[in-house]
Amino acid sequence: MAEFLFELGIEEVPVSYVKDIMGQLEKGFTESFTHQRIEYGAVETAMTNRRFLLFFNNISQVSESKSDLVKGPSRKIAYDEDQNPTKALEKFLEANNIEESDLEEIETKKGVYLGFTKVDKGDDTKSLLSELIPAILDKISFNKSMTWNNSGKSFVRPVRNLLAIFNGKTVSFQFAGVTSSDITFGHRLLSEEKVRISSFQDYCEQMSQNFVIFSEDERKNKILTEIKDLEDDLGFKVQLTDKMLEYYVFNNEYPVVFSGRFDEQYLDLPSEIISTFMINEKKLVPVYDSNEKLTNVFAGVSNVPDESEFVSKGNETVIRATFEDAKFFWDNDRNDDFEALRSGLKNVMFHKDLGTFHEKSIRIKEIAELLSELSGNHEQTKNIGIAAELCKNDLLTRMVGEFPSLQGIMGGLYLKEKGIDKDIWETVYYHYEPKGFVEDELESLNAGILSIGDKVDNIVGLISKGTKVSSSKDPYGIRRDTSGIIKIIIDFKLNFDLKSVIDFTINKFGVDESDKQEIFKVISSLFSARMEHFLKDLLFIDNDVVNSVIKSNTLFIYKIYLRAKAVFQVSESSSIHHLIEVHKRIRNIIKDSEIEAVSDTYLVEPEEKILFEIINETKLETEKLIMSNKYIEACSNFINMRPVVDNFFEKVLVMDKDKSIRKNRIGLLQKLNELLLQIADFSTLTEKD
Amino acid sequence: MSIQEIILKLEEFWSHNGCYIASGYDNEVGAGTMTPDTFFKVLGQKPWRAAYWQPSRRPDDGRYAENPNRVQKHNQFQVILKPVPENGQELYLNSLQFLGVEIRNHDIKFDEDNWASPSLGAWGVGWQVMCDGLEITQFTYFQQAGGIELSPNSLEITYGIERLGSFLEKKSNIYDLNWSNNVSYGELRTEEEKQFSVYNFETADIDMLRELYALYNKEATRLLELELYLPAFDYVLKCSHAFNILDARKAVSVAERTSFLASMRDLASQAAKLYIQKTEGKNG
Repeated sequence: MAEFLFELGIEEVPVSYVKDIMGQLEKGFTESFTHQRIEYGAVETAMTNRRFLLFFNNISQVSESKSDLVKGPSRKIAYDEDQNPTKALEKFLEANNIEESDLEEIETKKGVYLGFTKVDKGDDTKSLLSELIPAILDKISFNKSMTWNNSGKSFVRPVRNLLAIFNGKTVSFQFAGVTSSDITFGHRLLSEEKVRISSFQDYCEQMSQNFVIFSEDERKNKILTEIKDLEDDLGFKVQLTDKMLEYYVFNNEYPVVFSGRFDEQYLDLPSEIISTFMINEKKLVPVYDSNEKLTNVFAGVSNVPDESEFVSKGNETVIRATFEDAKFFWDNDRNDDFEALRSGLKNVMFHKDLGTFHEKSIRIKEIAELLSELSGNHEQTKNIGIAAELCKNDLLTRMVGEFPSLQGIMGGLYLKEKGIDKDIWETVYYHYEPKGFVEDELESLNAGILSIGDKVDNIVGLISKGTKVSSSKDPYGIRRDTSGIIKIIIDFKLNFDLKSVIDFTINKFGVDESDKQEIFKVISSLFSARMEHFLKDLLFIDNDVVNSVIKSNTLFIYKIYLRAKAVFQVSESSSIHHLIEVHKRIRNIIKDSEIEAVSDTYLVEPEEKILFEIINETKLETEKLIMSNKYIEACSNFINMRPVVDNFFEKVLVMDKDKSIRKNRIGLLQKLNELLLQIADFSTLTEKD
Repeated sequence: MSIQEIILKLEEFWSHNGCYIASGYDNEVGAGTMTPDTFFKVLGQKPWRAAYWQPSRRPDDGRYAENPNRVQKHNQFQVILKPVPENGQELYLNSLQFLGVEIRNHDIKFDEDNWASPSLGAWGVGWQVMCDGLEITQFTYFQQAGGIELSPNSLEITYGIERLGSFLEKKSNIYDLNWSNNVSYGELRTEEEKQFSVYNFETADIDMLRELYALYNKEATRLLELELYLPAFDYVLKCSHAFNILDARKAVSVAERTSFLASMRDLASQAAKLYIQKTEGKNG
């Protein structure tokens, strides 16, 4: 066995590409090895924005040999009457570059065929690698790539170095005008020399001497430890999101945490603006005190040690200028008449088929007002309507022009500045939230309602204009909007059927009457799919439970959610066993029957009379329980029917000789089935151990 | 180090690295990229190395001389290297060292920032170079100009001279920088920034600018028909500047913006095609 070390050296790759490229490289190597029958043990990978490393410490020196029987023409076809080879045979020999003497006979059911054993001898892994590596690199794809030299190769950034060492020897190849070697490079700023590498162990030592921490875990730990130290020193909390941490980990080969301060006068700016400018503009993170108040301290990660404090002082200077800009936008926008900006929205396109943002704001107002009424939020409907009309105005402010991620937030803040009611400005402020399932719950119901209105308008508008959505293609974020709506409905326990809202909205887009049903179907299956994902993957409700409740002709999201939770809870108890059995039995008996009515006249046996009575009683009861969302109680009622149902099946034969009695009994079971289906299709549940 | 020393040093450094030291273009431009020494010379096969100081106008960036580092006219030092050298990043870092930067002590980062100029039909891939958090340079591998795919590619390095000055002098306000030993940036520029901010944001005559835009556009079109692509390009630049002032005046609607940009892009593409035809023959 041998060791193989490969490092792709490249000019700074954008952080968002790094993991994907590593994944493609690893897949490229391991698939090629499997295909070429090169055995390997574990593979280790490491990446920064300047290098991608793969290390195989247990790779076979020679690929495995292989022999295949290759079948040619049948003997009948291969030779003519005089036993001379035919054209068909000659072609076969030529194509495979073999002699007649290489042929062997192969017995098949269809008779004797001619063929030969093709032996593929194992090859030297090192020489195979010379061909494999350029092909693997060639296959990597990028969202955006570039050319830079006369090789004409297209890559994410210029490839500058290719280190490839197999058991101490260089694997020779070329890619994108670069020739492979046993040489690599150290840290961009802290190391000047090129370094020669003999083995993986040597690589580790040389990298460490040349200020490259190539393991991402090691860099991450270094950052987290230093952040912790900083927090302990200050008694403050550094707000380091996963996204920023990842940015720091991949954008530095020798990360060092630093901190600085800015003039307290800038704390007068809204904290949302301060943190957005810091994070997006300057890649610095904000620091909060023990009361969760923003402080004038910031933290960042440098690629070099900052003993002489050039980095922290430099950033202090820069952040001041950034806040000056923020102040300029904030002061200027505040001087504008925010409410008057709305007429300007007539010039801003929302989508080429869906009109301007002005038109959108008119639609959202109507949808949000309907939603507000359906949610029983009557006294706030007027405020929600006002917020809906104003919620897109901030698209015309300088601040949002410069920082689109502040949309909504700025609208809210500018309204707040004008002294507008909190019920209105807060609604605007949060109306883009939540952006998916895994986000904090909204506090403001008004914002939740406006958010649903805006998102419903997006979804219905785009789908009705023919936008297709799939897991790989969703340029408008329709799936994320759908998830957001579901989350708001569940968080605020909004007890209404979204179908009426969707239907109301479809009518706003001039859709042909004949297409409406189809559009609703597409939207409804979109919601079911997101709902399924939510219940299964985020609430960890068993698949069979989710499937038993998800089929529905309505979009009563809150009730589907409650049913799933109730059935899930009941399915954990032993009493579910009987319910599953009974429901299966019923469905089995009625499966091919027409719908039958039940009439007192044909109820003969006492057991069926009692069953009929209890079905009617439970039906009334269940309807009441469903109205008040008491699904567990409804399930308990079903379970309590057990003795009556058992007696029925014990004493009564459904398939009676008398046709009318038989039909009546089938009708009875159909009624019972219908009743159970109000909660779930228990017959599809699987029993737990 | 004074602003003029920075410019002299950069000229010296890039002159040693094979660049022809051009003068800045005598027409209002938004960036060094828009001058003929870059826009035309990156087209076609012929190798080219040029470096020059280019004052650049961005009417919308004016701040009445009240912001410490935003101005409606700033100074760029533009370097264009064609074909792309293998050691472009190293050359760039060497130029910083030549200016006296101890690179071991500073957090110099190449941070993703792709560049596109919708009015020139040009785009490239690259980074903004951040030095201790300050963006001091734009570093771009050109991919397309005038709507034409470039082969060979060019490397463009654009230093922000005021930014470099702030960094080297550790001054947070560019008006405090020295232009020479005798005159400060503030003395030279404050009044100009104030007056042009008032003009760009408040008093520029919108109707006149619209008329001018139309006239410049017409003249560029006429000159292109005569295959006079150099004067035609001058009129495209004039269109661009008129458009930028209209934009600063918030006088451009979204629909208009799209059509302005499309018409400038179209004119720039025609000029680029004529340049290639004239310099490299029809098949070039």
